[in-house]
Amino acid sequence: MLLALLFSIGWALAAPLLVRAAGRAAGWVLALGPAALFAGFLAAGGTVGPEASIRETAAWVPTLGVEASFVLDGLSLLFALLVTGLGAVIAVYAGSYLHGHRDLGRFYLLFFAFLSAMLGVVLADNLILLFIFWEGTSLCSYLLVGFKHESTPARTSALQALLVTGAGGLALLAGFLLLGIAGGSFELSVLMERGAAIRSHDLYLPAFLLIALGAFTKSAQVPFHFWLPNAMAAPTPVSAYLHSATMVKAGIYLLARTDPILGGTGLWTWTLAAAGAATMLVGAVGALRHTDLKKVLAYSTITALGTLVVLLGLSYGASIKAAIVFLLVHALYKSALFLVAGSIDHETGTRNVLHLGGLRRAMPLTAAAAVLAGLSMAGLPPLFGFVGKELAYKAKLGVENLGWLLPTIAVTANALTVAAAGILVARPFFGRRRTPDGSQVHEAPLGMWVGPVVIGLVGLAFGLVPGLLYAPVSAAVDAVAGEPVDINLALWYGVNTALYLSLATVALGVAAFAGWTPIRYALLRLRRLSRAGPERAYEAGLDGLFRLAAWQTRFFEGGSVRSYLAATFGVIALAVGGTLLLRGGVSLQPAVLLDGLQALPYETGLVAIVGAAALVAARLRSMLLSITSLGVVGLGLALLFVMMSAPDLAMTQFLVEVLIVVIALGVMQALPLAREVEPRGRRGRDAVLAVAVGATVSMLLLAVLRLPFDATVPQYFLEESVPGGFGRNVVNVILVDFRALDTLGEIAVLAVAAVGAFVVLKLGRPARSRLGPPPVPSVVLRAGARLLLALLVVTSLFMLWRGHNEPGGGFIGGLFAASAVVLYLMAFRQARTERLLRVPPRSALGVGLAVAVGSGLVGVALAGAPFLTGQWVAVGTLKLGTPLLFDVGVFLVVVGFTLTIVLSLERVVAGPPQPPQQPLASPEAAAADRQPARLNGGTTEPAEV
Amino acid sequence: MELARAFSTMAADLPAIFSMIVVSVVGLVMLTVAAFRSDHPSIPWLGVAGMVVASAWELFQLGTEPGTAFFGAIRVGGYAAFINLLVLLAGIATTILSVPYLHRLKHDYGEVYALLMYATVGMILLGSSNSMVSIFVGLETMSVCLYVLAGLIREDEGAVEAALKYFLLGAFSTGFFLYGIALMYGATGTMYLPAMAQADLATAGGTLLFWAGVALFLIGFLFKVSAAPFHMWTPDVYQGSPTPLTGYMSTASKAAAFGSLILVLYYALPAERWTLVLAVVAVITMVVGNVMALSQANVKRMLAYSSIAHAGYILVALAAGTEAAFAGALFYLLVYTVMNIGAFGVMALLEWDGREGRVQTLDSLAGIGTDRPVLGVTMVVFMFSLTGFPPFGGFFGKYAVFAPAVDAGLTWLVLIGVLMSAVSGYYYLRVVYVFWMQDRDDVVDARQASLGGLPPVSRTSQGVLVVCAVGLVAMAFFSGGLIEAATGFFDASAMAAAGGGG
Repeated sequence: MLLALLFSIGWALAAPLLVRAAGRAAGWVLALGPAALFAGFLAAGGTVGPEASIRETAAWVPTLGVEASFVLDGLSLLFALLVTGLGAVIAVYAGSYLHGHRDLGRFYLLFFAFLSAMLGVVLADNLILLFIFWEGTSLCSYLLVGFKHESTPARTSALQALLVTGAGGLALLAGFLLLGIAGGSFELSVLMERGAAIRSHDLYLPAFLLIALGAFTKSAQVPFHFWLPNAMAAPTPVSAYLHSATMVKAGIYLLARTDPILGGTGLWTWTLAAAGAATMLVGAVGALRHTDLKKVLAYSTITALGTLVVLLGLSYGASIKAAIVFLLVHALYKSALFLVAGSIDHETGTRNVLHLGGLRRAMPLTAAAAVLAGLSMAGLPPLFGFVGKELAYKAKLGVENLGWLLPTIAVTANALTVAAAGILVARPFFGRRRTPDGSQVHEAPLGMWVGPVVIGLVGLAFGLVPGLLYAPVSAAVDAVAGEPVDINLALWYGVNTALYLSLATVALGVAAFAGWTPIRYALLRLRRLSRAGPERAYEAGLDGLFRLAAWQTRFFEGGSVRSYLAATFGVIALAVGGTLLLRGGVSLQPAVLLDGLQALPYETGLVAIVGAAALVAARLRSMLLSITSLGVVGLGLALLFVMMSAPDLAMTQFLVEVLIVVIALGVMQALPLAREVEPRGRRGRDAVLAVAVGATVSMLLLAVLRLPFDATVPQYFLEESVPGGFGRNVVNVILVDFRALDTLGEIAVLAVAAVGAFVVLKLGRPARSRLGPPPVPSVVLRAGARLLLALLVVTSLFMLWRGHNEPGGGFIGGLFAASAVVLYLMAFRQARTERLLRVPPRSALGVGLAVAVGSGLVGVALAGAPFLTGQWVAVGTLKLGTPLLFDVGVFLVVVGFTLTIVLSLERVVAGPPQPPQQPLASPEAAAADRQPARLNGGTTEPAEV
Repeated sequence: MELARAFSTMAADLPAIFSMIVVSVVGLVMLTVAAFRSDHPSIPWLGVAGMVVASAWELFQLGTEPGTAFFGAIRVGGYAAFINLLVLLAGIATTILSVPYLHRLKHDYGEVYALLMYATVGMILLGSSNSMVSIFVGLETMSVCLYVLAGLIREDEGAVEAALKYFLLGAFSTGFFLYGIALMYGATGTMYLPAMAQADLATAGGTLLFWAGVALFLIGFLFKVSAAPFHMWTPDVYQGSPTPLTGYMSTASKAAAFGSLILVLYYALPAERWTLVLAVVAVITMVVGNVMALSQANVKRMLAYSSIAHAGYILVALAAGTEAAFAGALFYLLVYTVMNIGAFGVMALLEWDGREGRVQTLDSLAGIGTDRPVLGVTMVVFMFSLTGFPPFGGFFGKYAVFAPAVDAGLTWLVLIGVLMSAVSGYYYLRVVYVFWMQDRDDVVDARQASLGGLPPVSRTSQGVLVVCAVGLVAMAFFSGGLIEAATGFFDASAMAAAGGGG
């Protein structure tokens, strides 16, 4: 079977080439593939008895229970024969019908791909494999229905069909997963033996409903039936194949296949019978409303599908037999009628029966095929349709507690089907001769009449000698029932109730055909009712989804970074803060807080200053003043660190804050000086959010502080600092020795950030300063800057040197040095600063990194210690070691980082020494006015460790 | 200590970061070449060569026993090699796709490709981190480069705005992340993931500290993988960034971040506490991503929302938290990377210059399949695969993610996921529909596009796309082996976990 599938897929891939090679005879050549498959299955069928089935399996995704396992039993054999046999006939037909179409190769590729997928569905033994092929059929049908892509209806309906069946398919997957859990396997053959256990499992109900949903959408059951008539926009060979015998029958196949596993319960019977009966009626009535041949065919197909679902729902021997026979009957006559409709369309240019009549003389062969198929559809002897209908009536009569209801529905639906058969066959081929433009009509070409005639004759043969079908039908029935069932097949069962029902059906049907025109008008008048139908629901649903999407986009994605931040903060305040309040056992005790504040008067005062400065920063309109106020906030925090005995942190904070204020003020030269005033409402929202987030973080901190503190970690570092790292400044020892690898990573990030900033600013055009040309700096500033430069550089080296034992270190020293150069830059502008530096500051990045890495390698080379292990030598009382060298690397990287950014910014903001006048506004002006002081927020954090 | 031992220590540690070293060094070489001639045509190919060498190395590492290096800070072998390989392959594809794109925009500076290399280094570090500090360093290295790459096209106000938003929001998330790490360290006294799980929280009274830390830490991570409600930067940034680089951001950075998150969840956090939180985030993410993608007219924006939705699918597996689910997530990352790079790659090759700058509206691409059949066919494969239609890789990815979640009892979550996949069909197939089934002459935008002249299509770029598409089909056949291999990473690395940590 795997071989058959591979052959079929190969055939699909070769199709475009074969089309090109075969030219006019393309249809005939391409039909050889499915014909060979048909013969193969026929030969294999000899070995498939009621008891025996062939199973093949190969591993695929074993961890997830997906196996490439196939099974050939009666049911799959029957379907495989249908799929390949009709495939061959329709391949011939399509060759003629689409002759000369520029995309014929593509058509055959898709057609055979569909055939392969359909074969896969009916042969798969693994549920997931079945699903894969199932979705494959949806996909191929989407592309096939949309094949006539010149017309808008074709595209819309293709998408509709795909969405409906695709969504159903996903429900099916979910159902399969549940079924797999309930049954403990994904193999159908295994599940069939566990049917009883599965039916009493808790997951039976959801699994059944989901699988039924999948089957119903695929097989166009009410209320999902609407996609099928719309899909008639497809080329006719596609409809004949997909919408009569194969794709729409996939749902029927699935129900038949899962009958031994899920069937037989009240839920199964009632769900299927109700849906099927409703579908029968809706289809039968719909068929009479239309005058387009294909629409009539589509609705009558819906009726037939409903009949099949009802029969499978009854789920006992006779009904299963009836279902299998009727399935064959329908596949034969419906595909023939579709092909006939296509021929009529091809020869006359219309499918509207009102414009057609008396074609039998012009198209005798097609007419003969149509008559054979039509009689079968109407269920008249001696055609196969008669056998099917009799069996169906008998099966429905055999149900005890449904009494008269089902037979009544069946008779009504079948009578209307008889009328539909009349519309399809009698109207166009008999009566007065009528064509749309009165022109001469010819018989369809050989390729187009041979198919319907063959299928019609097969129907006649099966009707006359139903015994021919005994072996395949009985094997299929056994497979569905899950046990051997005694069946007999005959054209004539004698006079019984079913025969009376048949007679009534035909009589009613003929009457309905005679009164078709008034019935049609009446139905058309009722069309308003269908406005409330499921198709409207589908459209309204789709519409609603779009409106929801549009609303969501407007609401959440205004494009403003402020609202993004607001949403993020809101979530954090709610999620973290809320959890703390509800679960963390945090309670607010203001009295305790006040006591604490009184005990620390200086700190309290400082916090008040910081708070006031933050308020001012938020309220002021002038950007310059806001930045300065933010600087006050930062410096206040630095003072707090001093009071809390964290000198390293305080120094770092102090220097970073100063540099940020300077850089931000520099940037401000190119930005608007006053910012827009926000509407009161938004400011209120922001204030609430700010307070909420602030409160959350404070709460978190307070809660953390109340916890008993595990002092092992700090204790370890305090104890190990001097003996292990030869330094008394624990912070510095951690940075350059104990956790030097982390520091190395962080200075690497700094270096990368500097390169990034350099690239961005290099690519940019200089922005025009809004403050006009920079004023010539005062002499005092210049003189002071020279002095301070020297002083600060010395300080920075001092800081670097003493860092290991006293507050200081590479980070702080680097920041001192950078501040010195920045001060010089303010006094002497860019050109002279660059001359002073001689080398571009970014070279310090590379040298610094190299020094840091090199200091780590010393230990490796000398002592065989791991990378970045400190090595020390004693020079008198002085201990010198590689961590100090490492700190030099840190120093260089920090200097390089700061200066690269500042100098690059200066070039953009102030322009080259003699800026050419370029009338350009800085593009980020609009977005950046809110948070200028944060411009470096992300990259300076490592410095605050 | 003698020299022999020195070399053996180095020999043990250096291979762990071999690919990082190669990529960084080649990046430096590229910078040096760029210093002489910024648009030297050999620069991107130097990068490609470097990354090819690195990925060959990682391919070799896939089968090796997992372990740790640098005092347990870096993971090596199996899992790490898989993530690294993914990142490197994405980097190679992106570089090749960027060459014609940036050349056309006259932004083909060598530094850009060097930045791409450094971003890759960050991702490799992130994906193979075994300690919180190296996670942070990797995350930042990657992010800083991406901030810059997002704003590359400075003439485009949208790009600048996007970069700024990315940077501002990213800086905040980094703050949360760092704060979270600090709290977790305070509670457990260690930075190493396996050791964190072994730390005794109850005695120190550190549970609140720890969980508050985890909450903040997760917020940082969820931001990076653009899970709702921290996703808001994604559409703006993806739309504004140069298209091939958007593909890179949406795949490689997510693969690395998810790879790291899985390690944290697997080693450091007990699963049961996070199932519900991650499940809720997954639901919001899937709904927001899929529903909002519906109403987008711009393909890049649509793909941005779709990438949010895909993050949601992966979160489903993370919520399930079993080894099979994590393995499924890994496989999903692989599939997702291939198809998303491909989709963005196609869009990059189809971008045309209109009056309003670079145009990527869907309507303007009506009937493009007929003119550019290779792009059209590969795009169909990518779209079907993104929807999750079999037989493409996307289906197997979704199945690998959803099936273990059902096994873990999260059926409700999977049902939502499946429903949302159905919704996603609409917007993905609309692309197929426009590409192949609409006629250019029916659509005003498309007529303008054809008047403006579509850019010529580079053969190498098309080759990359074809490889991606063929890969997606091939994955259907090899998914079994791939998923099994991914499951194997967890079995083996679970054993190595005891040895890791410091």
